[in-house]
Amino acid sequence: MSDAPVLQVDRLVKHFAVTRGLIRRKVIGLVRAVEDVSFEIARGETLALVGESGCGKSTTGRLILRLMDPTSGSVRFKGQEIANLDKDSLRRMRRHMQIIFQDPYASLNPRMTVGEILAEPLRVHEIGDDASREARGRELLEIVGLLPEHARRYPHQFSGGQRQRIGIARALAANPDLIVCDEPVSALDVSIQAQIVNLLQNLQQRFGLSYLFIAHDLAVVKHISDRVAVMYLGKLVEIADKKTLYDRPLHPYTQALLAAIPKPDPALRTKRVMLQGDVPSPFRPPTGCRFHTRCPHAQARCSAEEPTLREAAPGHRVACHFFETLPIPTIIARAGLANGKFAERLAAFEAAKAARVPG
Amino acid sequence: MTVEALEQGFAQEREIAAFARAGVLRRLARDRVAATAGLVLTVIVFAALFAPWITPYDPYFTDLTKVMQPPDAEHWFGTDNTGRDILTRVIYGTRNTLMLGLVGVIVGGFIGGVLGILAAYYRRLDGWIMRLVDVMLAFPAILIGLAVAAIFGAGLTAVVIALVVATVPDVARVARGAAIGVMGQEFMEAGRAVGVSDGELIWRYLTLNCISTIFVFLTLRFGQIILIGAALGFLGMGAQPPTAELGMMAAQGRDFLFMAPHIATIPSCAIFVIVLAANLLGDAFRDVLDPRLQT
Repeated sequence: MSDAPVLQVDRLVKHFAVTRGLIRRKVIGLVRAVEDVSFEIARGETLALVGESGCGKSTTGRLILRLMDPTSGSVRFKGQEIANLDKDSLRRMRRHMQIIFQDPYASLNPRMTVGEILAEPLRVHEIGDDASREARGRELLEIVGLLPEHARRYPHQFSGGQRQRIGIARALAANPDLIVCDEPVSALDVSIQAQIVNLLQNLQQRFGLSYLFIAHDLAVVKHISDRVAVMYLGKLVEIADKKTLYDRPLHPYTQALLAAIPKPDPALRTKRVMLQGDVPSPFRPPTGCRFHTRCPHAQARCSAEEPTLREAAPGHRVACHFFETLPIPTIIARAGLANGKFAERLAAFEAAKAARVPG
Repeated sequence: MTVEALEQGFAQEREIAAFARAGVLRRLARDRVAATAGLVLTVIVFAALFAPWITPYDPYFTDLTKVMQPPDAEHWFGTDNTGRDILTRVIYGTRNTLMLGLVGVIVGGFIGGVLGILAAYYRRLDGWIMRLVDVMLAFPAILIGLAVAAIFGAGLTAVVIALVVATVPDVARVARGAAIGVMGQEFMEAGRAVGVSDGELIWRYLTLNCISTIFVFLTLRFGQIILIGAALGFLGMGAQPPTAELGMMAAQGRDFLFMAPHIATIPSCAIFVIVLAANLLGDAFRDVLDPRLQT
């Protein structure tokens, strides 16, 4: 890992304006989807971004790729600011940053053959000629575990897992440095999830990719990530390397998330900390700490003053006023790499792979 | 994998692709109603195309010795009040009527489709385009026809303009609806993430994915357009005598409805058959092309 980070996100903000009126549009409010988010990703590293639905994690991913324009803040890719790039420079930039989508049934253009889909990034960026692009397409299909002759088929002739492989191949086509994986496995069967996660890991080692891995499945995250950032209602509440976060989560929200992972041991079931209530609306986020409405440890100060991310240990930052004094919950994710069905599948998959390729 | 096995694989793929392409027509042919409608429409279109060669008489030749004759062996559909052969005039009239319908559908469909797709792609244009469409929608086609005829004089041009104006707003709405659905799909974003230009996104990603919806709507719309065209002809805004046009022929025959009912009814029946066949075919196209109805 080199020292210069591939991606630096600094105080990123995205507000969606809610407007009313037919001719003179008046802004009647803001949905604060992403608020003051900062992190960085090193070369070859996987940063997982986790949180509930609607917490702004996908929006963050799209802001980084500038599929949406940020309200403020900076996104620097290999030191170059992309939040204010003009249209042409942005298009040239796109070959270095790619995205894998959640829904493999919606992310491939049904009117294009797989070969055309894979050649598209190369064609757009004028890399190679037709023949070399076709060859690259076949190579990519082999890399992701499909057959070269699949290039002539249309997306609807594939299963979900195969389509996701095609989506991954497309993301790889122009040799990017960073791939935003927007819940790449949550639409797939558990058995296929393990295959895709493994594929992503192999590709990372082979091509030195950096991933921003957006997910809500903590078992998958635990398997693939190096560091984990937890988001709640548009804000980062905790960021730490994987081991620290899973072993010693400091933010009450992270603790609740980890406690919600289903455990195979029935004896542990009763100790679960359940969060009460729903996620408040990002249209009118709570004052002070955004989590105070659901936090079991909330005090007066929490609703008055917004906590900032403070360093708990090197590389471990927490946005909570009281993390030093909170009781450490009886945790949590038990030994083992991951939990539940996913872990079983993963183990079986690894075993099968080891058996097939000795050494 | 050996070369032979690969080649075999490719051959198989080509077969599958050919089968997939044949699918639409094949499925249409399996539907008996659609097949009949298609056959009838094909015969009508060919008759209209080759009118000068297949018609037995001159459509404008008046034979005052044989006025208002009922159908017989010499004049299959009889003659009108000036002794012109009605079969010949119906075939020529079909020519004009079909032409009106086609031009209305193609030009109106194109303009409406472009407006709808642009409205869906450029959201800031959406309000403006759709309000314009609403304005167009507020005027009945007949009224527009009357207005255009009043300004430029009655004739086929006035009808064509009225039909185009009548088609544009409906198509724009359908196209916009379909395009907004496609815009929500992740492959649009994927294209943008890859760096595909706006123009290509609009054509290869957006338009190609909603064109079948628009096409189905237009085939259904075709029958209505013809009907509106005929109605304008009936009101005297359309083709002017002696030009043969089905709606106008029905209008002229109205005066002799009791003496010679065939003069009005035969062109009306022709309109009926064309519109019915067009609608049935449109229905069948919808069933075949709509991905949601496919199993």
